[in-house]
Amino acid sequence: MSRARQTNLEAADWLIARQDGPLSPGEQSRFETWMAESDGNKAAYWRLEYGWEQADRIGALGPDTVDSEEELRPARWSRWWVPMAIAASIALVVGSWQFATQRASMTIGKPVPDTSAQSFTTPVGGKRLVGLEDGSRMQLNTQSKVRTAFTAARRQVWLDQGEAFFEVAHRKDQPFIVYAGDRQITVLGTKFSVWRDGGKVVVSVLEGRVRVDEMKDNRLMRSSIIVGGDIAMAEGAATLVTARSEDKVESALSWRTGMLTFDEKPLPAIAAEFNRYNERKLVLVGPSVAAIRITGTFPSDKPDAFARLLRDAYGIAIDERETEIRVSR
Amino acid sequence: MLDDAEIREWFRREVLPLEGQLTHFIRHNWRVEDDVMDLRHDVYELVIAGARQGLPLATRPYMFVIARNHLINRAKRARIVSFELVADLELVDSDFGLFDAERHLGAREALRRVQEGLAKLTPRVRQIVQLRKIEGLNIRETAERLGIGSDAVRQQTSIGMRALTDHMLGGGGGGTARVAPPDRRETGGDA
Repeated sequence: MSRARQTNLEAADWLIARQDGPLSPGEQSRFETWMAESDGNKAAYWRLEYGWEQADRIGALGPDTVDSEEELRPARWSRWWVPMAIAASIALVVGSWQFATQRASMTIGKPVPDTSAQSFTTPVGGKRLVGLEDGSRMQLNTQSKVRTAFTAARRQVWLDQGEAFFEVAHRKDQPFIVYAGDRQITVLGTKFSVWRDGGKVVVSVLEGRVRVDEMKDNRLMRSSIIVGGDIAMAEGAATLVTARSEDKVESALSWRTGMLTFDEKPLPAIAAEFNRYNERKLVLVGPSVAAIRITGTFPSDKPDAFARLLRDAYGIAIDERETEIRVSR
Repeated sequence: MLDDAEIREWFRREVLPLEGQLTHFIRHNWRVEDDVMDLRHDVYELVIAGARQGLPLATRPYMFVIARNHLINRAKRARIVSFELVADLELVDSDFGLFDAERHLGAREALRRVQEGLAKLTPRVRQIVQLRKIEGLNIRETAERLGIGSDAVRQQTSIGMRALTDHMLGGGGGGTARVAPPDRRETGGDA
């Protein structure tokens, strides 16, 4: 047997053992010894762990792929529906239930703003918390524009520009739908944010699940289910769902506390992020600064403080002007 | 010196998504199919050892230089080196370095790949993988459900895990005797 194959077998045994429950202290120390033995062992273990996680998408395939296992269907769905049904019934009691029956019929994918529509905006650097009539809460980030229209049949929100975080009150028969460009996000009970930058849409889910539908000419093209910890980025026909990472979602949502969190992010992306919040723009000069990667948490409204930090930590030249801060090396 | 957690994170984020291309590269430059999996394993080992001193700025060129040098060394040691092989290897850099953003699978692509990967498994292995992934059953529960021994479940899970990993990473199944060269989609460079 080849060396790689042998290592791969051992790695699979360890991964299976570790996923089956905590190892005994003796096993744990044998596992650590095995991992420390060689980089090859680590490579094989990390690779299998990663590949096996990638195969988690099996869970998103939907019940019809479980062709050989008819009896799996009820089991699978009941696991989702029980907690959701409980949550929904609690929300029914708590939520204010004051809707007259409004125009309820609307074809899916062809939203028509209701006459009772409301509109909310924030300026550059602004932030706004909005309590919606159904008990849901919406927090708008910088430079954002949102319209809402609630009917007895559905709660609809149009994100025309910018970013918003939603805490949705559960309503069993009244779906909460966010329209962002050609993406339609249907909430299955959750906390999540949607950021729209032209045709690009980024959905970060903190808790629960949402469904992101791609719409074209009012027709549903395809859907992806995004669960807590996932971030979906969509543009054109592509939807990219990043591996589950609660940390990443937390940093994507740190704007809610007025902070920006970066993990090994390249400076151009960081500058673009600051510039969303401030009229005074960070401008990078020359290619050598573009390669710098930064990790840390910074107040979103203080690009000057961030620039000074760059100067002190990296010896980078900064030139503070009235409308911009130029960063060069 | 970087610690394992940092290297693991980088290895998952930057290296593993390139597996399809790496396998394609090795297979293209090495005639003995049976060596491909071992060679790839060696490259991963070297890539990790090198990264301990500091993560490379650009992972793809870093890894392919290591892969090229490793193949040349192996060829020299095996005394099968030919000028064509070395010349071919010297040229490879120009083929790579583009499309960095495209190596991560889209959700739809990942789903399709999972589906294909599942279809390749034997019915029993597929069933066990589904019980694990969809119902979240552990070894003992799976054994009870199917009325077979825990050892058998463990062994079949291992087979499913390794085969699906090969398939998800687009690196070609190492478990089968011979694998067709990956098609262009699986190289990931033109998705």
